Amino acid sequence: MSAAQPRNARGTPTANEAAATSASAHLASDVPLLAVGDLSVRFGALQAVDRVSFAIARGHITSVIGPNGAGKSTLFNLISGAIRPDRGRVLFRGVDVTGRSPNRLLDAGLARSFQITNLFFELPVFENLRLAAQRLEPAWRALLPTQRSAHALRRAEALIARFDLAHKATDAAGSLSHGEQRRLEIAVALATQPGLLLLDEPTQGMSHGDTAQTAALIKSLAGELTILLIEHDVDLVMDLSDHVIVMHQGTKLAEGHPAAVRANPDVQAAYFGEAAVA
Amino acid sequence: MADAGAVIAAVRHSEHARHHSLTGFALAFIVLGLLFAAVAAWRGDVFFFRLATEALIFGGLALSVDVLLGYTGMLSLGQALFFGLGAYVSALVLKNVLPSFWLAMAVTLAVATLAGFVAAVISTRARGVYFALITFGLAQVVAKVVFNTPSLGASDGIIGIPVITIDLVAFDVDTANAAAFFLFCLAFVMALYFLCAYLARTPAGRVLAAIRSNEDRVPFLGYPVGLVKVLAFVLAADVAALSGALYPMLRGFVSPELLYFEVSGNAVITVIIGGMGTLIGPLYGSVLIVGLKSVIGSYTTHHLIVIGTLFVFAVIFFPQGLVGYFKPPLERRLAARRAAVRA
Repeated sequence: MSAAQPRNARGTPTANEAAATSASAHLASDVPLLAVGDLSVRFGALQAVDRVSFAIARGHITSVIGPNGAGKSTLFNLISGAIRPDRGRVLFRGVDVTGRSPNRLLDAGLARSFQITNLFFELPVFENLRLAAQRLEPAWRALLPTQRSAHALRRAEALIARFDLAHKATDAAGSLSHGEQRRLEIAVALATQPGLLLLDEPTQGMSHGDTAQTAALIKSLAGELTILLIEHDVDLVMDLSDHVIVMHQGTKLAEGHPAAVRANPDVQAAYFGEAAVA
Repeated sequence: MADAGAVIAAVRHSEHARHHSLTGFALAFIVLGLLFAAVAAWRGDVFFFRLATEALIFGGLALSVDVLLGYTGMLSLGQALFFGLGAYVSALVLKNVLPSFWLAMAVTLAVATLAGFVAAVISTRARGVYFALITFGLAQVVAKVVFNTPSLGASDGIIGIPVITIDLVAFDVDTANAAAFFLFCLAFVMALYFLCAYLARTPAGRVLAAIRSNEDRVPFLGYPVGLVKVLAFVLAADVAALSGALYPMLRGFVSPELLYFEVSGNAVITVIIGGMGTLIGPLYGSVLIVGLKSVIGSYTTHHLIVIGTLFVFAVIFFPQGLVGYFKPPLERRLAARRAAVRA
């Protein structure tokens, strides 16, 4: 299935409609799951993110693209509570969550993965997932034997199978191959059962085969939750996304349907330059 | 999925092999303690009973260091602060309030929890070397304050702590009875061990392992890292203080030396020689260190040279420590036996 086809199970605007309307009209029907307004942060002399505003709709895959240094990862860090913005707001489900700590954001249902694999490398693969899934249990079960948290165990087991890591369940996460670690990275974020999943370059450094497998996995998640994705691979983005946001030098250059964004001359100049000429 | 539960079963199998091998070391420790007691009682000994009781008490201190170092990855260089605090609080209660074991323990627990919380709030904001230096500094400050406080006996400490009778409902233990008090301390310290070992296996305890492995990722799994570290620190403070509270019952006095860096440093050495991250290793390590100190100390006053040299060799050749060295073969045997039973 290509992203150009409508994904309309929940009555959200089809991809074609989204392309035809402006970004704000696209979100008019409901409170957007995530909305950022005027988000800015400066590192010394560098204005890393500069007055970025956008909103994303429930059930969609939205991608953030842009050249290196465009501020994509910083934008993620601002949204996920890793760093605080100098100005601007982050609204999650209509609630102002600006500057909330990552664990409190996760309580609200916002999880993320990392561009540089960020796992518990000494712990078994299953344990990485179980730790993440434990938050589905009531807090008092944290003091009972681990086996009593059956819901968390089942969630971890379901994910380990879905991400094709069951045969490595008792191996240390650090012993996995790069591609397997990248898959586990996504699975750990997913194990917390978030409403919004931020994926920071999930296919970073993957082989072609692994990338295709991971893309299929991400696509299969789209019906279950909302995804905001940073990705370098333009073809992958165009295939996966319902909506694309283009960052350039800390600012939002454009957003819209993948095809519309690709056709945008500003975007072509800033980002697709070589590809468009070739 | 056809084999739902198969992965959980495999994980449980692998966790059991690890836990059962450590429980094996714990049971062996108890058996060795009882054998020692039988032989020592038969010989009518007092000296070795007292020495072994001291090893248990300092083993409790080392256990608390392992909770922080082996599970959470926090190197405390000031754990003597809580050990000494427990010893002083216990001494003061027994001497000035009531010669009651349970009252001394209850007051010690309350004071150590409070002091542990304050120290945790100060120290756990820092990591690594900075955390180690803050714990070191806090212990030094308290040691100097105690050393200069006349009402706490200043440099002399507190002497004349009465012999007490520990009321255990079914029977009493007299702290003057070397054999009985040794057995009591064995039970007490092993109870602390089993409590820590149990907690380490719960989801809460696993968060400590996650913090040790990769602290920065833990908040993104929804855990409040700051709070978890404070709680781990308070648990370790309580274990150290409850162990320290036994000291005046054994020796009849307390002195500021109990708060000094040598006690904290020794506890870290004990953990590493015994096996970091095993919890039971520190108890074996304490028997080894206290025993060696006494044996070597009877020949030379420079026993620290020998202990230091031993530590260097142990770290180079047995970095996993005593228990860490013998654990993998035991684990394999247990796993093989379980597999044989299943087949």
